[in-house]
Amino acid sequence: MSLITYREALSAALWEEMERDERVFLVGEDIGLGGGAFYITKGFQQHFGRDRVVDAPLSEAGFTGAAIGAALAGMRPVVEYQFADFVTEAFKMIVDFAAGNHYRRMGPVPIVLRLPSAALVSGGPYHSVNPESWFFGTPGLKIVAPATAYDAKGMLKQAIRDDNPVIFMEYKKFYNYRPADLPPQLQIDVPEGDYTVPFGQARTLREGEDLTLLTFGTSVLEALEAAQVLEREGVSAEVIDLRTLVPMDKEAILRSVKKTGKLLILHEARKRGGVGGEIAALIAEEVFEHLDAPIRRVGAPDCPVPLSPPLEKAYLPGTAQVVGALRELAAF
Amino acid sequence: MRAKIQNAASEPVRSEELAGLDFFRDLADRYLSIEGLEARWVPIQREDLRPGKPDALRLHHLLSLTRAVEETLDSAFRSGHVPGTAFFSRGNEAAGVGSASCLREEEWLVPMHRNCGAHLAKGHPPVSIMAHFFGRAGGPSEGRDGNFHMGYRPKKITQLISHIGTMVPIAAGIAWAAKLQRNGQAVLTYIGDGGTSSGDFHEAMNFAAVRKFPLAVVIDNNQYAYKTPLSDQYACPALALRASGYGVPGFLIDGTDVLLVREVVSRALERARRGGGPTLIESVTMRLGGHSVYDRFTDYVDMEKFKLWQEKRDPIKRFDQYLIEYEVLTPEEIAASHARARREAEEARDTALKLPFPDPAKVAEGVFAE
Ligand SMILES: Cc1ncc(C[n+]2csc(CCOP(=O)(O)OP(=O)(O)O)c2C)c(N)n1
Repeated sequence: MSLITYREALSAALWEEMERDERVFLVGEDIGLGGGAFYITKGFQQHFGRDRVVDAPLSEAGFTGAAIGAALAGMRPVVEYQFADFVTEAFKMIVDFAAGNHYRRMGPVPIVLRLPSAALVSGGPYHSVNPESWFFGTPGLKIVAPATAYDAKGMLKQAIRDDNPVIFMEYKKFYNYRPADLPPQLQIDVPEGDYTVPFGQARTLREGEDLTLLTFGTSVLEALEAAQVLEREGVSAEVIDLRTLVPMDKEAILRSVKKTGKLLILHEARKRGGVGGEIAALIAEEVFEHLDAPIRRVGAPDCPVPLSPPLEKAYLPGTAQVVGALRELAAF
Repeated sequence: MRAKIQNAASEPVRSEELAGLDFFRDLADRYLSIEGLEARWVPIQREDLRPGKPDALRLHHLLSLTRAVEETLDSAFRSGHVPGTAFFSRGNEAAGVGSASCLREEEWLVPMHRNCGAHLAKGHPPVSIMAHFFGRAGGPSEGRDGNFHMGYRPKKITQLISHIGTMVPIAAGIAWAAKLQRNGQAVLTYIGDGGTSSGDFHEAMNFAAVRKFPLAVVIDNNQYAYKTPLSDQYACPALALRASGYGVPGFLIDGTDVLLVREVVSRALERARRGGGPTLIESVTMRLGGHSVYDRFTDYVDMEKFKLWQEKRDPIKRFDQYLIEYEVLTPEEIAASHARARREAEEARDTALKLPFPDPAKVAEGVFAE
């Protein structure tokens, strides 16, 4: 087993893809000389040179647009945003141009947008965003959310080889995690060398009979913890990590809900306008007759992400909250 | 008014000369003034900038308080009292203090994330700054945000969002309101060398220039944007030259000289108040530390250059030396001023640390005005 960190997995994917395909290049703030704010590309510029590991000026709209142009003209750019929050600067380039180009019959835009996402302790309102719902309603963008080092490497490679624009959410909180630090279900070996993780395939982290707990991203940790608590209380929860939001593994979701009859959707992002609402509607439309209880959602409250520790703790959906919701569901 | 620097009519500078510009060497005793398409060097007569004693004491207090507040915050960070991270302005203090001390009480300051000196000069009390950094209920954002992402309404200081560049249009808008209200006020804002690459900066400069909003924009060029050096940030010899493209006056000055910063910014604000429109001032400093408390900056900073600036262009050491050399204050008075600043910062810290944390039950409150 080569149990590398999530960060090492991302670095390995970038490195190997750059070795494999000379069209791949990297652009972002501070990624060259300094190796990036989170050191994902440390040492890359020395090896691949200044043309393939580009320290961009502070201009997300400019360098994202330029990378999209390069992608159109045959390159495979990977763009790093220092924090996912700053992708708003480049919104128009992604949502209005890249996403629709193929539909408008002018060919695909093979670009990967790496978004370091979700809360890091006391990141505050502008360094903790879960950006998925900003993009979720836009056709033409794939959105992935790897929670393990295995997925991080395999999905980043898949994203680089995909012909479409991919919103690649990666989780700052996980960068330093080794699989051994994680619950057994997440201790997934990262093979050396080449492999990809296809999009649109959820992973069942834990089989269960009584209810389904559907989640992704950083919330997999709370989900597994909560499921364990419930198990001690005699409730068997099935935990599913979605892994890809677009395309979404509808089959896996429907199958599990048909089996258990009860569904809790958990994500770190705010409940309002979140991905959970779309999934709930999907279930209501397609398998309503299989439900034994109302669908529950756990997400953040309807306010910006606060910085002060007691506020942040109250904001982020924690294990206790998930356990409470699961108990109510089980008792329904 | 202290409009004392002579506009000694030197020849326009040739572009070849500017191509080899070295901020340390070339800004030693002159500054560059840009008007229309022409740039001219203007010599600085330091004697002309000599402040009176009460003025000197006030400026010195603000400078030493800036450093003392930040050093106190730095050690508070290391003892675990600062959630999140912290940006400091070591090396840039004179730029913040010298510029913001030109604002009138009723005028707005739109600071950025490395402007502790500007906050203090505009009257933001150290205890409020500390409470903010400590995530306490008594801070200006009541614990919703931290670091220098704060404002202070009683003194007309806006808060900022992390997104760099975004505050320049906001500042232009405040100046727009001043113009519409004909209140004779000017607005002061800042942007880093990195931030000048953002579209928001260009859009705001252009709009403000077209409509002649009363605005002064100080480019705090501290030679690195996080880990990105100037050579990867822009390709013109000096950012101040962009003033020509916007059709506004520009200045390139040594931002470690508090008296010079004050002189140039006060002229820009006066011009704005009189209806002359915006001015772009590039104030060159060196960030004498990491980007944030977490940053391992020795990995990527040119340490030879760093040491040179640290030795010769530390704005506080410089001001101390000036005041002694021009016999404005005695060494004893200067030492007493430093000691007083330290005491004040430590008292503010102790008071702020006694404030309560916000009530978690209120996390989702206050999103809308009632
Ligand atoms: C739009 C945007 N992109 C990226 C960042 C991340 N970031 C924070 S500070 C910084 C560098 C800023 O450099 P500069 O404008 O020169 O100001 P300095 O910190 O050097 O004073 C970067 C890239 C940000 N805050 N906003």
